[in-house]
Amino acid sequence: MPVLHVQHLTKQYGSLAALNDLDLIVEAGQVFGLLGPNGSGKTTLLASILDVIRPSSGTYTWFDGKAGSHVRRRIGALLETPNFYPYLNADQNLSIVAGIKNVPQTSFDSLLELVQLKDRRRSTFKTYSLGMKQRLALAACLIGDPDVLILDEPTNGLDPEGMIQIRKIILEIASRGKTILLASHILDEVEKICSHVAIIKNGKRLASGAVGSILSDLPTVEISAAQADMEKLLNLVTATTWIKKLQRNGTKLTMELNAGHLPRELNQLAFENGITLDHLVSKTRSLEVEFLEITKS
Amino acid sequence: MNPLNLLSLEWKRFSPNTTFRIVALLYIGAFALVVYLAHLIGGSLNINNNGQSFNPTADLFTYPKNWELLAYIGSWVNATLLGFLGVFMTTLEFSNKTLRQSIIFGLTRFELALSKVLAALALALFATLIYLIIGMSSTILSHASPGFSLPPLTCLLGFFLQAFGFLLLGMMTALLIRQTALATLTYLAYVLFVEMVCRWIFYLSVAKTRLLLFLPDSALQSLTPLPVPQSAQQMITSNAALLPLSTLESGLAALLYLSLFIAILYQRLTKTDL
Repeated sequence: MPVLHVQHLTKQYGSLAALNDLDLIVEAGQVFGLLGPNGSGKTTLLASILDVIRPSSGTYTWFDGKAGSHVRRRIGALLETPNFYPYLNADQNLSIVAGIKNVPQTSFDSLLELVQLKDRRRSTFKTYSLGMKQRLALAACLIGDPDVLILDEPTNGLDPEGMIQIRKIILEIASRGKTILLASHILDEVEKICSHVAIIKNGKRLASGAVGSILSDLPTVEISAAQADMEKLLNLVTATTWIKKLQRNGTKLTMELNAGHLPRELNQLAFENGITLDHLVSKTRSLEVEFLEITKS
Repeated sequence: MNPLNLLSLEWKRFSPNTTFRIVALLYIGAFALVVYLAHLIGGSLNINNNGQSFNPTADLFTYPKNWELLAYIGSWVNATLLGFLGVFMTTLEFSNKTLRQSIIFGLTRFELALSKVLAALALALFATLIYLIIGMSSTILSHASPGFSLPPLTCLLGFFLQAFGFLLLGMMTALLIRQTALATLTYLAYVLFVEMVCRWIFYLSVAKTRLLLFLPDSALQSLTPLPVPQSAQQMITSNAALLPLSTLESGLAALLYLSLFIAILYQRLTKTDL
């Protein structure tokens, strides 16, 4: 069952289309990454599906439209920066969230322990560091045990240790079978956390699917030979029909092989032509390379 | 969500805030202080007329004008401090982005609008309670007091509607402007002099009409008019254009404005980007 179904969503700010006829489906249990450069429309999309901003046209449906009027109480969301009452402490702020979600005002011990804020629970929000604010926001998202978590740039502005902590928490939540919708411009983050991804640019969806399907199956191969053989090697691979996207990077040649061809065939080809390769590395393309390729257009 | 739960959420949001507490205490303090000064000054006024000494304001301290005077004094604290509280509570939410966050956490936009109207309603009831307490204290303690009395229903209802109206006007101004300093300045300027100046300019240069008294601030202020001592009654009623709004007129105008303010508040909170 789709947890979220977005159809033809458009948000116009004057002549600028922050979202442009965007479609998206997120299934239950997916850790879905929204990937796009800054200003691509990720936050606008999340703000629209959370009813914070009004889309100009298009529709979205949560839980197949079967969740009733209080559908958003089944969703925990962190949008942009964490927003809480600065003069209230962690317990008081969480108590307001629990009130909104209409869940019992029990102790928040386990949540504060999960986000490592138990020791600072009595400090006012304004005294927190950015990492602590982000962690409190995660705790707030988890109140009422929501079915879906929406996290917009959850590691933004954090130091490496803070980033690792937040990622650990997200993975721990994902392991409980929750659906997570994560917007980020950090490719490494999406690749490490997400099972599915949609790439957005200028408010349009350029690609979407399982992370594995977005990544090309075709490996990139890097080779080199002795300096004296390099010209001969270059001519050889240039003439080979199953090699494409050939590039010379200093003393190395990088290329992609057509489907059905393996890197060892390249070694064999060189050997048969009297060239001994002294370097052969096969690399799977990273999401970063795919992202740059997809968004280049 | 249950309206009481919404109100309890509003209480959790604002009751610990220092500015909120200070303004609430200031409201009580300023109200009580001005009433005390009015009694002090009014009690000591004496005019000598043909060898006979009399206090021209004496009847202002007898029932029911004592309650009317109290409500009139309260109208200034309602217009300034209570209205400011409406501005402050709303802009505080904008500056901390907590209106938007409440929606993200799951409050519907209707519930959000309802919680703001309920908060204004609760504060207006609180203000009316203060009016009652100060009034009863002054009727008991004042030297000019006719003894313990309860306010006439028109005074009580008028005071409540006025407090509710200024709170909503403050909230509406804040929802339209969103920035604390600008919204506060705009609101205070409007209730303290902008409308009054515009009214007089129009009155003096365009038309001498009572319709000007139906403008928002005037209509709300008319709910608790300045009680006129017998001695000045003749002077006021000689000019028809200066005749204050009747209780019915001001009541109807206030209800109309309350509906308008609530409609604008609802529109801003439910139909615009937060």
